[in-house]
Amino acid sequence: GAVAILPAPQNLSVHSTNMKHLLIWSPVIIPGETVYYSVEYQGEYESLYTSHVWIPSSWCSLMEEPECDVTDDITATVPYNLRVRATLGSQSSAWSTLTQPFNRNSTILTPPGMELTKDGFHLVIELEDLGPQFEFLVAYWKREAGAKEHVKTVSSGGIPLHLVTMEPGAAYCVKAQTFVKAIGRHSAFSQAECVEVQGEVLPL
Amino acid sequence: QEFRFGSCRAKGVDLQELWEAFWAVKDAVQAQDNITSARLLRREVLQDVSDAESCHLIQALLKFYLNTVFKHYYKRTVEFRTLKSFSTLANNFIAIKSQLRPSQENEMFPVTERARGRFLLFQRAFRRLDREAAVTKAFGEVDILLTWMERFYRL
Amino acid sequence: HLAQDTSDLLQHVKFQSSNFENILTWDGGPESTPDTVYSVEYKTYGEREWLAKEGCQRIPRRSCNLTVETGNITEFYYARVTAVSSGGRSATKMTDRFSSLQHTTIKPPDVTCIPKVRSIQMIVHPTPIPVHAGDGHQLTLEDVFHDLFYRLELHINHTYQMHLEGKQREYEFFGLTPDTEFLGTITIFIPTWSKESAPYVCRVKTLPDRTWT
Repeated sequence: GAVAILPAPQNLSVHSTNMKHLLIWSPVIIPGETVYYSVEYQGEYESLYTSHVWIPSSWCSLMEEPECDVTDDITATVPYNLRVRATLGSQSSAWSTLTQPFNRNSTILTPPGMELTKDGFHLVIELEDLGPQFEFLVAYWKREAGAKEHVKTVSSGGIPLHLVTMEPGAAYCVKAQTFVKAIGRHSAFSQAECVEVQGEVLPL
Repeated sequence: QEFRFGSCRAKGVDLQELWEAFWAVKDAVQAQDNITSARLLRREVLQDVSDAESCHLIQALLKFYLNTVFKHYYKRTVEFRTLKSFSTLANNFIAIKSQLRPSQENEMFPVTERARGRFLLFQRAFRRLDREAAVTKAFGEVDILLTWMERFYRL
Repeated sequence: HLAQDTSDLLQHVKFQSSNFENILTWDGGPESTPDTVYSVEYKTYGEREWLAKEGCQRIPRRSCNLTVETGNITEFYYARVTAVSSGGRSATKMTDRFSSLQHTTIKPPDVTCIPKVRSIQMIVHPTPIPVHAGDGHQLTLEDVFHDLFYRLELHINHTYQMHLEGKQREYEFFGLTPDTEFLGTITIFIPTWSKESAPYVCRVKTLPDRTWT
């Protein structure tokens, strides 16, 4: 009988948050069979100057899941084409290409996770570790009328850091945002959190 | 962080990312260049470049690398790691070049001429070599270009 | 490189560079004997002529200091070693293209840690390097790398750290408990060149508080 042609993956899209770029698509279902997928990419250079050249993704050759982390492949702030094909045994489908090229400057930047603790009069902050491309802007102020807002740049997350030595009896509030150097963009500020030297962490 | 070539600005490029892409292939690429007695990006091309000249010069050099050097070097790039490094460099060069707006006013003519003279020095040296050797040498000299560009980079 | 395989006499010819001190090193091959002698030449990339390194001609040792000869940090260099065995066989090997700006590693900074009652002061001293400006004056790391900065960390009872960072030389950690030991680490960062020194470490104790005694 006629050999059924393996359908190409459909509904490609990129979900990008905090500079982690995940290409996903609808799985190709062949009852009783395991279908594998391979991903390739092309930056603006390749599409303009050597359009026949597609580069295999770092992590996604003949894999089972219908998704691929292309973060390590997207290494410039230019539009990238991405394509996927299915493979079953010796048969491969046609390539499916992302309809809209993806540019990493469209990544969604979320306010950073933040944990406040106290050690005596020391206010200590630990920010979410989002990787080497991220810096953090931390704003803190004494909760009183006309209080001045202080700003500190923190170059990496994941380390508990002394933020300020507090005055007895005062309450201090803190909020933070991320900054991604490679695309020159900030996240929104996180919800402010307040700490009283003798009290517990108070929501605003 | 951005490049400031005189009045030209180029954002969204992490110079560290470029260096790491080149260092991944540097020794392999430079080992293919057996002509150690010739250098394309010589001192006369890159030394004492004024801010005003810098935008015109970098635009000409990036255009040449994109149109000529990378394009021809791609055909010989089969080794997977080289292809990835290559793509990172080429796409970041495009990201820079697409943001450069060198001024075209008339009074800039002496500046553009000096920049053009420097570029022609480079281009003539390139054309003096056989095409394959020249493309290999030019790609091996990306670190000379990046070292010069670093002076115009602000964190 | 020579078509004939001579790695049995000579191997791993390369530069080792730290704070712009550029040392050429190599290994003898399995066939090299204690009386094998080595001669070193160097040249600037783009120049035609190889120059013999005085003091490293027909030497028995396997290293040669080329700091002065490779002292122009905007230049690129090659070096090559010729090994001659007692039996008269010889081999020559060349380094990869060398740029001290790219290759040099950074040593820990020189720092003075000064304990006080409720603070610790840290003074970072400039790092002189064997590189000279056009007018002959000796340069420092800070002169060469415009994005160089220091990161200072004070570790507080193993649970958190105080961080200070910047280009200036003097720093002070305030709000500390008297008569308590702290561990300080000071590191040099040069982001554009992806360089980071090993940390300078100082263990220091704040002074006792004698105000009420």
